[in-house]
Amino acid sequence: MKSLALAVLAGLALVLGSLSFYTVDEAEQAIVVQFGEPIGDVISEPGLKFKMPWQDVRYFDKRLLVWDGDVTQIPTLGREFILVDATARWRINDPLLFLTSVRDESGARTRLDDIIDSVVRDMVSSTELEEIVRSKDWEVDVEELDDPALAERGDVNLEQRPQLGRELLESGILERAKDSMPALGIELQDVRIKRVNYIDSVRRQVESRMTAERQSIAERFRSEGKGRSQEVLGNMERELRRIRSEAEREAEEIRGNADAAATRIYGQAFGADPEFYSFFRTLESYRALGENSTLMLRADSDFFRYLEQAQVQ
Amino acid sequence: MIHSVGSGGSGGSGPPDLTEILKKFTSKFRGGGSSKQTGAGIVGAVVLALLAWAALTSFYTVQPEERAVVKRFGSVVGITDPGLHFKMPFGIDQVQLVATERVLKQEFGFRSAGTRAGGRTAYSPEQFEDESLMLTGDLNMIDVEWVVQYRIADPIKFLYEMREPTRTLRDISESVMRRIVGNMLGSEVLTIGRVEIQQKAGEEIQQILDGYDAGIRISTVEMQDVVPPPAVQPAFNEVNEARQERERMINEAQKRVNQEIPNAKGAALRTVAEAEGYATERVNRAEGESLRFSAVLREYREAPNVTRSRLYLETLNEVLPTIGQVLVVQDGQVGPLPLLDVNRTGERRATGEER
Repeated sequence: MKSLALAVLAGLALVLGSLSFYTVDEAEQAIVVQFGEPIGDVISEPGLKFKMPWQDVRYFDKRLLVWDGDVTQIPTLGREFILVDATARWRINDPLLFLTSVRDESGARTRLDDIIDSVVRDMVSSTELEEIVRSKDWEVDVEELDDPALAERGDVNLEQRPQLGRELLESGILERAKDSMPALGIELQDVRIKRVNYIDSVRRQVESRMTAERQSIAERFRSEGKGRSQEVLGNMERELRRIRSEAEREAEEIRGNADAAATRIYGQAFGADPEFYSFFRTLESYRALGENSTLMLRADSDFFRYLEQAQVQ
Repeated sequence: MIHSVGSGGSGGSGPPDLTEILKKFTSKFRGGGSSKQTGAGIVGAVVLALLAWAALTSFYTVQPEERAVVKRFGSVVGITDPGLHFKMPFGIDQVQLVATERVLKQEFGFRSAGTRAGGRTAYSPEQFEDESLMLTGDLNMIDVEWVVQYRIADPIKFLYEMREPTRTLRDISESVMRRIVGNMLGSEVLTIGRVEIQQKAGEEIQQILDGYDAGIRISTVEMQDVVPPPAVQPAFNEVNEARQERERMINEAQKRVNQEIPNAKGAALRTVAEAEGYATERVNRAEGESLRFSAVLREYREAPNVTRSRLYLETLNEVLPTIGQVLVVQDGQVGPLPLLDVNRTGERRATGEER
């Protein structure tokens, strides 16, 4: 009987002990709550702690927490509809206040949703898309652009440096969110834009613009190719003609000089006795008479002179 | 990657006397009826179970690529190196294993899906466009895939500064990459900007994570495929093809030039050479004929009549036999007297012809 009583007592002691001890993890901070009312200060040192058995402990994460907003569709100042996905880092820095204002994390998230979503929406819809996408140190010299189509884009101003830029936009959102957040025991560390994209219909428009742009660049390359090759061939034709005509001119000159020299030589030689030359030359030309020729001679030709008689006539 | 080993209860200092417990245990079975003995037996069984539990929860192993963060009653007491270690049982000590020596990676815009035969990586066919599509500074769209490689530099900070360090790493990587790509022209991102982006992204992500004290060290950011969005890619390819075609057309024209100009120059030289040949021939012939004439002339001057007759007769002597037909005409006659040429074989008829 005594040992059974001892066992029961031991059991009771155990139960009581488990209700009087609690641990606070490295990642946690705790508040002791008595019958619904918080007692004492926040316990943020980890380890084994004591409390009264009838008291409860509420735990709060001590670490940096993540808030991720829904992807929302927002029009920019220039009426471009974009999808914005923002994230934020926050911390419970006053668990007592946290407990009394939002009670727990899901309550906190609801409040954060409201506040941050509306601040993001406000700021994005009052900002140009270029300001959201680019940063403060955006620098482009239109003169030095490699891509010919870029310089001709009418819908975007390439050289305009943003007054805000992404970083200042994000810190602006943070400031405003902090301002419009009531005392919730929450510290908002930062808000960043994770994703920015066009909505589907705008995306299709942009894609067809990009396609048309590329196609016109391709067309330009092709006609440049044609033009330059025509130019090269045209120059070649001109050069060919020049070479040919100069050669012909030179050849004619040579021939002409040769003809003149020959004429001079002939002239000098044959000119010594023109009559004999004509006789001599004519005799030569008779050699051209051949089988196909028919010759008519007079009967008193020199050739026939001695055919009838031998004496001189 | 992170394990948590623990259980609850109070602790004992030295191992209880086994023989005593065994006696109690066996006496319970041997004895029977007495409630006092049954009570003692139950206590013995419980104690035995507790001992077994303690044995199981009092040691742990740390693999070579890991470190263990040890907490006692929830408070961090230290980090242990690889090997077999002892800890307080019953979950008084809790151990979380963290892979600090391994290079970890996060993929964006794609997922690798294991290794194929031959050691090559297989990739998931899914597109992950939400992660990879982004806007450039000239408000075009671009598809960027990248990998962030990192290590857990401080396991305590990694576990206890942020609740979701890996998710935060991913969020920050996406945000930073979009900021950097959004600050460059699309054409730059596609071509020369890759190295700059990798370097800037690594620095910025590290800076932000340090601001959170996340205990992560970024090793590299590596760009993978960076391409225009799928719907636009054919047009981009067309530009490359057109650019090549331009070069091809110009080269072909130049090739023709390189062929035809030397050809023409060669032909020109030949034309001139031909003319020079003609010239030489003409002058030589002229000189030859002139010399011959001058020689005959000298001879003629010495005996004019004789030479004249001789030349005449010699010529006719050569020429007449070769002529097809010789007709003799007498003054006052209507038709000529044909000369019968006995040398011919009678093919010709002697006909009177008057021209």
